[in-house]
Amino acid sequence: MNLEKVVFGFFVLLAATLNFGFFIGDIDDPALHNVYELFGAVVVSLIATVLKFGDRTQLGAVHLATSLVADLQLLAAALVWGYAEYVSSQGVTPGSMASVVSLSGGALLANLVSVVLLMVETVSFQRR
Amino acid sequence: MPHASATQASETIFLVLRRMRTPLIVLIVIFAVSVLGLKLIPGQDAQGQPSRMGFFDAFYVMSYTASTIGFGEIPFPFTYGQRMWVTVAIYLTVIGWAYAIGSLLALLQDRAFRQAVALQRFRRRVARLREPFLLIAGYGRTGQLLGHAFDGLGRRIVVIDRSDDRIDDLELDSYRVDVPGLVGDVRDPGHLGIAGLGHPSCEAVLALTDDDEANLAVTMTAALLRPDLPVVARTTSPAIARQMRAFGTPSVVNPFDAFGDHLRLALHAPASYQLMVWLQSGPGAEPPPRGQPPRAGRWVVCGGGRFIRELARDLNAEGLDVAVVKPAAVAGTPDRDPSSTGDGSDPDRVDLRQAAGFVAGTDSDTTNLSLVAAALQANPDLFVAARQNRPASSPLFAMMAIDALLVPPELVAREVYAQLSTPLLRRFLREMPARGDRWAAGVIDQLTTLCGHHLQDLWKVRLSGREAPAVQAWLASGQARLGDLMREPVNRDEPLPAVPLLVLRGEDCSLAPDADFLLAVDDEILLAGRPTARRSLEATLLFETVTEYVVSGRRVPSSWIWRRLSRYEARPATDPTSPAPHDQ
Repeated sequence: MNLEKVVFGFFVLLAATLNFGFFIGDIDDPALHNVYELFGAVVVSLIATVLKFGDRTQLGAVHLATSLVADLQLLAAALVWGYAEYVSSQGVTPGSMASVVSLSGGALLANLVSVVLLMVETVSFQRR
Repeated sequence: MPHASATQASETIFLVLRRMRTPLIVLIVIFAVSVLGLKLIPGQDAQGQPSRMGFFDAFYVMSYTASTIGFGEIPFPFTYGQRMWVTVAIYLTVIGWAYAIGSLLALLQDRAFRQAVALQRFRRRVARLREPFLLIAGYGRTGQLLGHAFDGLGRRIVVIDRSDDRIDDLELDSYRVDVPGLVGDVRDPGHLGIAGLGHPSCEAVLALTDDDEANLAVTMTAALLRPDLPVVARTTSPAIARQMRAFGTPSVVNPFDAFGDHLRLALHAPASYQLMVWLQSGPGAEPPPRGQPPRAGRWVVCGGGRFIRELARDLNAEGLDVAVVKPAAVAGTPDRDPSSTGDGSDPDRVDLRQAAGFVAGTDSDTTNLSLVAAALQANPDLFVAARQNRPASSPLFAMMAIDALLVPPELVAREVYAQLSTPLLRRFLREMPARGDRWAAGVIDQLTTLCGHHLQDLWKVRLSGREAPAVQAWLASGQARLGDLMREPVNRDEPLPAVPLLVLRGEDCSLAPDADFLLAVDDEILLAGRPTARRSLEATLLFETVTEYVVSGRRVPSSWIWRRLSRYEARPATDPTSPAPHDQ
């Protein structure tokens, strides 16, 4: 067992699960989307990105790309939420909540690709 | 082409990213914990009502606190609970930042990382070269001399050397164009590949290190990976030279061997030797002084090793009586050993008063200098040849009256220059000694009267349809005298300040052809002269009106309308109206 692989798999999966937890629920209902969960998703996603630095393989490059996409989407979601809460005069409306959740949905897709890549890597390792 | 070192370079950059993982993760975690704590700890607003900070406020506070800017407690003054947490967070984030920035700076200072970055830059610079360039492996004294000579000709070079001092010197050297330099082992095909061995614009490879094995490795690499490239390699060992010749057809320069040939030429034809050295010295050189041939007599050769063996053989071949002795036989040092004198005689019996020539050929400069001094003291009329081993000794050797001085790096540089500057020069130098001393003296006189005492420019002209479209009809007439071409386009009574050294027609070459030489289509001419002459000749060869004036003296209108009006028809000029400016 490789500790590095454990940590790597842990963070990739955790990023996907947190993201999923935040995403699930009615798209425009703020009560169903926890702000702490989004915070956790952003932090874990950033850590997962850094863990993917420095892998020279083709698979590693795609891993890094998916993570960067997820970061971008989650940060955009956090920014939209912050804008709605502090800057916008209407506060957090169902419309702005919907765009936050849909952005995190995009990040979820990227995270799912990451998980699939992780599985592909594991399976191809088994076959060797 | 091997790219081993290239992947090695990108690997190093990945390694840097990999090493930055831990500091970055530590920083992210510290920030996340601090922000989360600030969000969770209860605070109160201006009215004393309980309130919690938003994520954005917490992140904002932590950002300016961690970066030591410190805007104060916002949006409301902190409670004691919040202040305690911020105190902890300040220390945590300072440590996180210090760790991350420290790691980054350490990586930037890292030797491997800087080498990798330098390698990447070098690779890009070489890949971007669009002009033909020479790949110089080994940038010692020879490499520097050649680099400057080729730079003077406007050729590009790429340099690879083992020592980073020499590569650093490239920045300080006054080159006209940018010279990419790589610190690397020339024996590594990957390094040669990065230095442009596989580049389509690479026109020749020069193996000039002071290590015979390395030169052999370069020759082999070039012959196996780019068999089409000409290779010039330096070696002092005949065995290595044989191994080099087993790979393709490199031209091997052996300074010891070449010095013997030069000395032989200097002995029977001082003017030929002078012309050869002058033409090999590159742009801007002054003619070297012409030596006096020594009187007949015995030659005393002092020293040992391969150089002396080669030299003694060459002098013997010249029909000279040669005595090889140890330095002790001449310098008269007290610890001399009678058995070490090569002539089988007592050292005192090496009688320099009866000798005609003396060679100081040991591998120590101080010994050579004292040998020369002792020899000249015994017999001031001696023809003295000496070997200079270190460049630093050159002012000392310059002060001694030495007739033939061997400086191996300079000799190699001149030989290589003659081979690569233009192929016709090599041909000229090969054929020249056969023409005799008086002929060579004549060529030198012609060069100095027409072009001055500095060798200006050596160039080649091909009288082909592409390079010389305007003179094709004239050449085809069979009456094309060389003397008529060599006139100034401004005033045809003035000779062009250039000397045709050689005309090559197919495989036949004519050395220093005179004014009555008849040119033909596709002749190649090697010329020496001023750069203005080069431009004037180009105009003569390219523009019909200039050709017409230069060749026949008729001024021809250049525009179509005036030609119609004056009923000009392009026809070969056959009768020059004035005598040729420099009939010999």
